[in-house]
Amino acid sequence: MIKLQHVNKYFYKNEAREIHALCDINLTIEDGEFTLFSGASGCGKTTLLNVIGALDTIDSGKIFFDEKEISLLSEDARTTLRLNEIGFVFQAYNLIPVLSVEENIGFVMKLRGFSDKEIKKRVLEISAMLEIDDKLKSLPNALSGGQQQRVAVARAVAAKPKIILADEPTANLDSKNSQKLMNMMRELNEKEGVSILFASHDELILNSVRRVVKLNDGVIVDD
Amino acid sequence: MFSLALKNILFYKNRSIATIVLTFISAMLFVAYVSLMDGSHKSMLENSLKIYTGAIEIYKKGYRDIGGNEYLIDDVEEISKKLLKIDGIEIFSARYETYGLLSNKEQSAASMVGGVEPDKERVLSSLSLALIEGEFLKENSKNSIYMGVELAKKLKLHVGDEVAFIGSASDNSFAADIFKVCGIFKTGLFEFDSTASFVSKNYFDKLMNSKNRASYITIKVKNLDDVQKVNSEIIKVLNRDDLESLTWKTLMDTMVEAMEVDSIFGYISLSLFLVVIFFVVMIYGFVNVSSRIKEFGILRCIGLSKSKIFLLLFYEISMLSTLAIIIVAPIASYICYHYSINPIIIDGIADMYKDYGIVSDEIPFDFNMFTILRNLAVIYLLNFLSIFYPYMYINSFKPIEASKHV
Repeated sequence: MIKLQHVNKYFYKNEAREIHALCDINLTIEDGEFTLFSGASGCGKTTLLNVIGALDTIDSGKIFFDEKEISLLSEDARTTLRLNEIGFVFQAYNLIPVLSVEENIGFVMKLRGFSDKEIKKRVLEISAMLEIDDKLKSLPNALSGGQQQRVAVARAVAAKPKIILADEPTANLDSKNSQKLMNMMRELNEKEGVSILFASHDELILNSVRRVVKLNDGVIVDD
Repeated sequence: MFSLALKNILFYKNRSIATIVLTFISAMLFVAYVSLMDGSHKSMLENSLKIYTGAIEIYKKGYRDIGGNEYLIDDVEEISKKLLKIDGIEIFSARYETYGLLSNKEQSAASMVGGVEPDKERVLSSLSLALIEGEFLKENSKNSIYMGVELAKKLKLHVGDEVAFIGSASDNSFAADIFKVCGIFKTGLFEFDSTASFVSKNYFDKLMNSKNRASYITIKVKNLDDVQKVNSEIIKVLNRDDLESLTWKTLMDTMVEAMEVDSIFGYISLSLFLVVIFFVVMIYGFVNVSSRIKEFGILRCIGLSKSKIFLLLFYEISMLSTLAIIIVAPIASYICYHYSINPIIIDGIADMYKDYGIVSDEIPFDFNMFTILRNLAVIYLLNFLSIFYPYMYINSFKPIEASKHV
């Protein structure tokens, strides 16, 4: 479970151009949720995703990941948390170009110390589910955008994190590939029990998720 | 991390090749520069040692500071017996030196006249090899004189000409004779060629009434690198308070000082060279890392710690540097070896620097595997040091900022 209490985040704090990106956010996300943070550009949805994912710090308030207050963690501890508990899917896929699809999917598992046998088994399982098992030996630059994003999802989910944070995952995909990706992510959510949080203003995602948290100028206006 | 580093190297071929080439050129220039500097110093020293000064010389205490007949070595034979037992000595010989006046019909010149043992001198020094006219002294030569080319010019003498000698004998009596020029030598050391002349010691002992006494005993060692060890052995074996055994470092203190000063300037230049290498490698590394900020940001986002990022950079630079050093080591070694045997020739350098002991236009490299490997290790180390600033730079970004870096 993730719990945010009175979370505030500023950019350019104490400067003339100060932006109050998150204003007194209170939010609880239960395990296994399939949730979307939506709103117009600049409303704070990506910032919210980043602070939940321990990618960014907050200026006040508290964020609990299960029972652990992550807002108090050091940079190294936040890195460890990201490695062990969180999977990320980025808008621009962000695959490691020098690694094959198979190696990209197994990369986080390798960092976490899984055995080669476990990695191989899991890579085959996930790649089959996401229909990229015929591309395992290819390098990312030989794949289409949709395939690259599926590899990114596979990498995020392979090490069985508690939560996956997906920032505009369909922004670079056409509607067909976007639909396919959403179907697959919903399947993962159901089969693997992993919580998935999206930040997006894509209508397709809006129609696929069970919960929508709507933001406007850093404030939750609807949940 | 090792596997990822290797894949990075293979994937970004141009970047890897540029790093290897940069390291290769830096290492090659550094090794060659040091080899050339060491080689020219060694050459100056060896030339001077070969010409006349021994690697070790034994004097009666006071001879070098005060001089005079009271400080001649009286028991050359007894000392010789002891020196024969020392393994590191190749050959030794007694010399009797005095200053006298050489005159022809028209003019006179002061000269250092040395009584030498010609057969031993052929092995000990390159005096005989410096012959340019006539012949070298023989063991039984009587009143034959072998003189420097500049001195001969001054006195307008040629082989076969006669020259009068007047000097003070070892018993402080008056010594004089007519010498006949048997040979003229040129060492290239201007001062030496202008003042030195030599006669057979057997003959000179009689003329100077020196009865096998000697100004000093000069020694050639089997290996110049062992000179200090051999000298310690000599001091131990002789066990005499009235004698001093000195190595070339003391005997040629002026030249050693000049070489040390030259080395200091050399090392200052080397330091500047190393600073330039360091910054070139670091700036190149910095540019490379700057172009990879997004890549490092993604790695940080998905859970790669700062220490693992450092390890990744460390592996990459290790592999590239190792490869460059493996390539450059045999090539640099071969170049140093080749030019140590076939020295670079710079026309006119001997004439320009004749006062500093340079007697040849040939400037050899020094081939010393230890020095070469040490210098390659320095470049290797510089490459490692050069990753610290780029590493600190990428750490100045938050992971999420870095992952969006363009």
